[in-house]
Amino acid sequence: MRHMADELTALLDGALEPAARAEVEAHLAGCAACRAEQGRLTGALSALARLPAAPGPSPYFASRLAARLAAEPPRGLFGRLSAWRWRLALPAGGLAALALAGVLVIRQERGLELAAAAQLDLLQEYETIASADDVETADDAALIAEFDTLDRGGVR
Amino acid sequence: MSQDHDAALLLAFQRGDQAAFRLLYERNARAMIAYCHRYVRDAGRAEELAQDVFVKLYRTADRYRPSARFKTFLYRVATNHCLNEVRRAEFAARASGPVGQDQAPDLDALPSTDAGPHEVAVARSLQQAVLGVLGSLPEKQRAALVLCRFEGLSYEEIAETLETSVSAVKSLIHRATVSAATALAAFAPGGEEARS
Repeated sequence: MRHMADELTALLDGALEPAARAEVEAHLAGCAACRAEQGRLTGALSALARLPAAPGPSPYFASRLAARLAAEPPRGLFGRLSAWRWRLALPAGGLAALALAGVLVIRQERGLELAAAAQLDLLQEYETIASADDVETADDAALIAEFDTLDRGGVR
Repeated sequence: MSQDHDAALLLAFQRGDQAAFRLLYERNARAMIAYCHRYVRDAGRAEELAQDVFVKLYRTADRYRPSARFKTFLYRVATNHCLNEVRRAEFAARASGPVGQDQAPDLDALPSTDAGPHEVAVARSLQQAVLGVLGSLPEKQRAALVLCRFEGLSYEEIAETLETSVSAVKSLIHRATVSAATALAAFAPGGEEARS
């Protein structure tokens, strides 16, 4: 005979389909072992039902929960955007500062280039003067003066 | 808990109605605290867990679809959270010493002072035994037993909550009840504790 112990809890819980229920009940009528097991399970359900009720909320439950929920980021599209505003502000500010620094560096470099261009003649003069280190003799000086003449008038 | 009304409140909250969420937790706080109390021994900790559940619900409310029952949605959030808590606590207990089935039961959950000393003693002893059984069960059996015996969910609702089949729930509840029958034999009618 196939015992039906596995179906007994569902039978006690009223969770069996009518056909299955009829089959288990018919089996129980003729099976002392399954009836004993049913009695044991019924006893457990009875003991569990006698367990004291769990305590209810304390007087502070609602206010504490409300405080926790108030600390949550706002909901909805506007709220989420609002919440992201500060999270986006830092990287956005950083990017802006980087861009500004880049512009300043470029402008500074362009300023130096413009100043250099304005002073090009002077720089050329400086190169000429610097080359004076090489002037050791009167002939060298005359040659340098000749270069100057060549620069201005080209080769004649 | 009226499922339809709670579902309507959650949908209203999805549309931005903050007051609807307050109503929702006011209506369900007691049940949630009681549920969490089946996983932890301490009333204060149970309250904290219930608060966590509502905070999670607040954060995940957008995921709720009216096709799902609110009750099973809420219990799913709560079950996952409580089982995580149990795992965390058991891990901590293993790390710090023997698992405490001998811990004192929660005095807040015992019968009121108008019960006689004998009733209080039996209730305390029963509570201790039930906590011991629940603590010894595998996670899903424990969740299924609590949802069935203490929260009154149907097998179908438990299946939806635990995201499993009804036949699996039937098996989980049966095995858990068999374990409970062994552990609580003394408290069954005619048992040693019931007679004394």
